[in-house]
Parts: sequence; structure tokens; C-alpha cells
Amino acid sequence: MNFRFRQPVPSEDDDDLALVKRARDGEVDAFRALVVRHQRKVYAVALGIVRDADLAWDVAQEVFVRVHRGLDGFKGESSFFTWLFRITSHVAIDSVRKERTHQRDEVDEVREIDMEEAGEGILSTGLGSDPSDTLLRRELADKMEAALATLPEKHRTILVLREVEGLSYEELAERLGIHKGTVMSRLFHARRKMQAALRPYAEIEPARFSGGTEVASKVEGEG
Amino acid sequence: MRTCVRFAPMIGSKECELPEDEARALAAHLGACPRCRAIARDLAATEGLLGNALMARANSRDFAPFVDQVMARVGARPRPAFEQVRRRPSLLAFLRGHGRLTAVAAAAVVGLLAAVSAFLYVHRSAERPEELAALEVDLEGGNIVLQTSDGPVVLIEPDDETGG
Repeated sequence: MNFRFRQPVPSEDDDDLALVKRARDGEVDAFRALVVRHQRKVYAVALGIVRDADLAWDVAQEVFVRVHRGLDGFKGESSFFTWLFRITSHVAIDSVRKERTHQRDEVDEVREIDMEEAGEGILSTGLGSDPSDTLLRRELADKMEAALATLPEKHRTILVLREVEGLSYEELAERLGIHKGTVMSRLFHARRKMQAALRPYAEIEPARFSGGTEVASKVEGEG
Repeated sequence: MRTCVRFAPMIGSKECELPEDEARALAAHLGACPRCRAIARDLAATEGLLGNALMARANSRDFAPFVDQVMARVGARPRPAFEQVRRRPSLLAFLRGHGRLTAVAAAAVVGLLAAVSAFLYVHRSAERPEELAALEVDLEGGNIVLQTSDGPVVLIEPDDETGG
């Protein structure tokens, strides 16, 4: 008589390390659960770095293939999350490496001239100090991806790792192989460029959304 | 101005990311510098927007095929470490695991066979060159003549043989 062994389906409460252990033991459903749990965030990080949705999809797939391949070598010294996103940033950066070689002349240090364009406070004026989900903030969120795409690769990467993955200065320094001081100044440049790209929306949009006076007066004028 | 260059990169740091003395110095600078306060306000106003935007984009995409594509790429079967416990090592498994060695050995065998064949062909041809012409065919007066190593052989129609 043949008995078929049915593999247990991973529960919601299984943490990553437990899933990794089960996946390492050959449990297909455990690895599947790891993919499902992290696929969207891996894709989001990849998308921020590579800019192209289809390439980001391919990068995310390659990440999980490498994770599967490397499960035996994963010792659990860092969290699975850290390991997963280290692979993600490496694969994503590798896929746009060509772009990086053309932009080595970008300086990281902050100079006097950089300060001249900073600190206008336009974004905060347009968006208001209340970080709650206003209509303009939602509109601006739609522009973030396009604004990010205008940045060079190294600025996109550091912003995404900081803002999406939530890495600290030390973790960024380790991940990118640069000094902590360079991390801080590169982040400054990245944010400044991002804000410059968003500024046109923040300058124009507030009038439309502060009671709609601009739109209303135009309509009246036409009438 | 020069102090702004020093403090601007520190704006946006999270708690405990700066040494205590630097955090105090930054706070003092922000208290006195309207431009750096504006930078900090801009940063605070857009905080979280990028992460939200990218996650919103990821959430709007249909991920239904994603996991199946990944599982197909990784083989969607128990990992090798698991398989090794259940399966005995076989010659096929050894050859799979030593792909480069197998390829070199196969190439060597093919090369050796080709060399032996070429040697035998040339050697035999040099010894009996007449065999090369053994099957020449001529048409002489409507009869078929085979040129063999023993001389021409004329194939006669049955009618001619009987003298018609």
C-alpha cells in the first residue's frame, strides 16, 4: 500500500528563518511562501533602481533564483530580509552597471554652490506641514517615479535603499562600499535633485487644490 | 555658509545615526539657520512618498504569474540537498556533476576515433589503389561495360546471348 506524504502548507505566522530552513530541507511550498511574502517589495526596490518595469520584473525573478541557489550558504547571521535585499540591490545595480560607468564624474561632496539651490522650502510650502494623505501628496506620489527616473543610477540607488528598504547610514556604507560621510553627502545630492524634479508640480499644483480659485477664475474669464 | 555645507548632509538623519555631539550641533544650527530649516521642512514634507509610490506601483501590478515563473526557473522540485538523501549517486549523476570533465573526455574519444578512421582509409587506399576504380561504368554500343580490377566486363542483353 502506498501512502502519499502531504507537505504541510506554511502558516501566516511562519517567520522567514523557519521558511528558509524548511525550504532548505526541500519543502517546495516553503520557498514558494518566501517568494510570495517578499516579491512585491523586491520588485519595488528593483524598479526604483532600474527604472524599467519589465527589467525590474526580470531582476526580481533573478533575485529569487539566486536566493534559491544560495539557501545552503545562508547561515542566518543576518536576517533573511537583509540577505534578500542585499542580493536585490546587487542584481539591480549589475543590470544597469553600464549606466554607472558613464557617470563616475558625479561628485559626492557637498559644496557651497550646492547650497545655493537648496533650502527654498517650496515643497514644504506646497505640500503643507501636515504629512497626512492630502490630494496633492497623492498627486505628487504619482510623479515620484518619473522624478526618480531623472536621477543618475547612484542617486536612485541610494534613495531607494534609504527610503524603501530603510537602511541606516552604516548599512548603506556597507552595502555600497563607501564611507559613512560619502553616504550622507550622496543622499543630500540625491534628495536635492529629487526635490528639484518635483518642484514644478509643487509650484503649480497648490493653487489648483487650494479651493480651486485658479481654475474657477479661468472658467469665469472664458465665459 | 560654511557651516551649512557641514550640516546639510546631516539633515534627515534618523535617531541615533549621528554621534550625540554632532546631533546637538545640528539642532543648534537648525535653530539659527532658516535655509537649513527649509531643507529640513522639504525633506519632512516628502518623507515616505518615494517608498509609497514604488510600493503602490508594485501593488498595482498583477503578480499572479510571478511565483510560478520563479518556481519553474528553480525547477519546482525538492532541492539537490534533499534529493541526495533519497537517491543513490549514479554514473549519470556523476557525469552531470562533472560536466567539463565529461565534455573533454567525449571530445577526446571522438577525436581518437576520427584519427584511427582516417589512418585506416589512407593506409588501405595506398596499398590497393586499383580498388578505387573497380566500379566504373561505360556505355559501349548500347552495352553496359563494368571496368573492374580484372579487366572490362560486358553485360550482354539476354537476346544477344542466345544470338536472337
